[in-house]
Amino acid sequence: MAIRAVRWGWSRTGWQRLALILLWLGHGVWVLLGPNPGRHWTSLADAMSRPSQSLASRWETWRASRREAARDLAETRAENARLSAELARLRTQAAQEAPRWTEADTAVRLLGLKQQIPLDLKAARVIFSTRPATFGGLILDRGQDLGLVPDQGVLVPEGIVGRLWSVSGTQSKVLPADAPNASVAVMLMRSRAMGVLQGLGSGRTLIRYVSNQEVVQVGEAVLTSGLDRVFPRGLLVGYVAEVAQGDLELRVIVNLSAPLDRLSAVLLLPPQPPLEVQPPFVAPDQKPPRKRVTP
Amino acid sequence: MRIPAPSATRQNLLCAAALGLIVLSAPFPRFQAIPHVMLVLALAPRPGAPLVGALWALVAGWTLEGSLRLYPHLGGTAWADLSMTLLAGWMAGRWPLEGLKGWLARLASLSLLHGLLVHGAVRLATAPHPWGWGWFWALVSAPLWGWFAWRLLHAGAGSGRR
Repeated sequence: MAIRAVRWGWSRTGWQRLALILLWLGHGVWVLLGPNPGRHWTSLADAMSRPSQSLASRWETWRASRREAARDLAETRAENARLSAELARLRTQAAQEAPRWTEADTAVRLLGLKQQIPLDLKAARVIFSTRPATFGGLILDRGQDLGLVPDQGVLVPEGIVGRLWSVSGTQSKVLPADAPNASVAVMLMRSRAMGVLQGLGSGRTLIRYVSNQEVVQVGEAVLTSGLDRVFPRGLLVGYVAEVAQGDLELRVIVNLSAPLDRLSAVLLLPPQPPLEVQPPFVAPDQKPPRKRVTP
Repeated sequence: MRIPAPSATRQNLLCAAALGLIVLSAPFPRFQAIPHVMLVLALAPRPGAPLVGALWALVAGWTLEGSLRLYPHLGGTAWADLSMTLLAGWMAGRWPLEGLKGWLARLASLSLLHGLLVHGAVRLATAPHPWGWGWFWALVSAPLWGWFAWRLLHAGAGSGRR
């Protein structure tokens, strides 16, 4: 079998066909590219770079948001520091003004009580307290200069405090109602039973001379009876804390309602006040007349 | 009976003459389409030697585009001419001519296809544009220029009715 030698290379027809194909394809590409061939490259480059542009845009957005957040954080910290300083300043100011506010509040409450009691009440400030000591009391900043005399009743909006024990030129001493040597004529609010209040110390008192026949409940209010001519009738003294049967009389323990340890200002009743004080007239609430409804 | 192919010299001369006619008829675009289509579909195709015909077709397309001022000069016509000349040459080699009627029918169908391809290629190269009337006149006058091209190409080879 004879082996024919293969001729390498292109024939004339092959070259012509190749030239035709290239001619046709080249012209076709030229037609497809159109009037502005660069726009195809531009659009291709745009399409190719779209992912990287998207990534770059997201990266820049993230950086901007982080920069914004950092600036917000710095501003917030500065604002926080400024507000902290402002808060500290206001707290200091509030602490400085707290006594004045308390005093003003007390003055307002005393003024309210003064308007409710139609007597010539005088106000004084408590400048010292010797209550922890035996037979101690309260020292007021007013004395004879205000026309004060011993045995004037002393009270605050929460209740009675005691009576004036001694009066000097510019100061006076108050004998608190819970002092062992103090006594106040009182009556129980519900049973209207009368007695004499004697101090036990530490805001506790005992009512003497209440019969065993009386019915006294714990929590019952205790009022002044006015018989001692120091306090008029009807001022709040305190509330019954304990009731125990004694041999001849009830043992009634009363907690004073006035905070004797925290007083800063008091009102002073006039000496020998009237037994009964008519409270200022207060018009009762006008209730609308009930209409009769026909069913 | 097969019709013998014309000589290359005669064919090239006829193509040159048709090309000159295209240039000269540029002021009359509707008439210009006729020599253009005749050159592309009838004179340039040559079975067995497509390269020369393709070059003539390209020249004809670029000449037509260059001779018209309001025509897009982007090669769409030349590319369509090239494609149609190659197709016509391939058809001439695949289905050899046997008479005038077949020749005219083939020219009419190729003329219609040529009009569509030229419009599509120009549209592809530029943008949507209005149709002209050259394709219509070329198609209507296909028997006339087909017969004329037949006579020019095969003048020495008989009438074809033998």
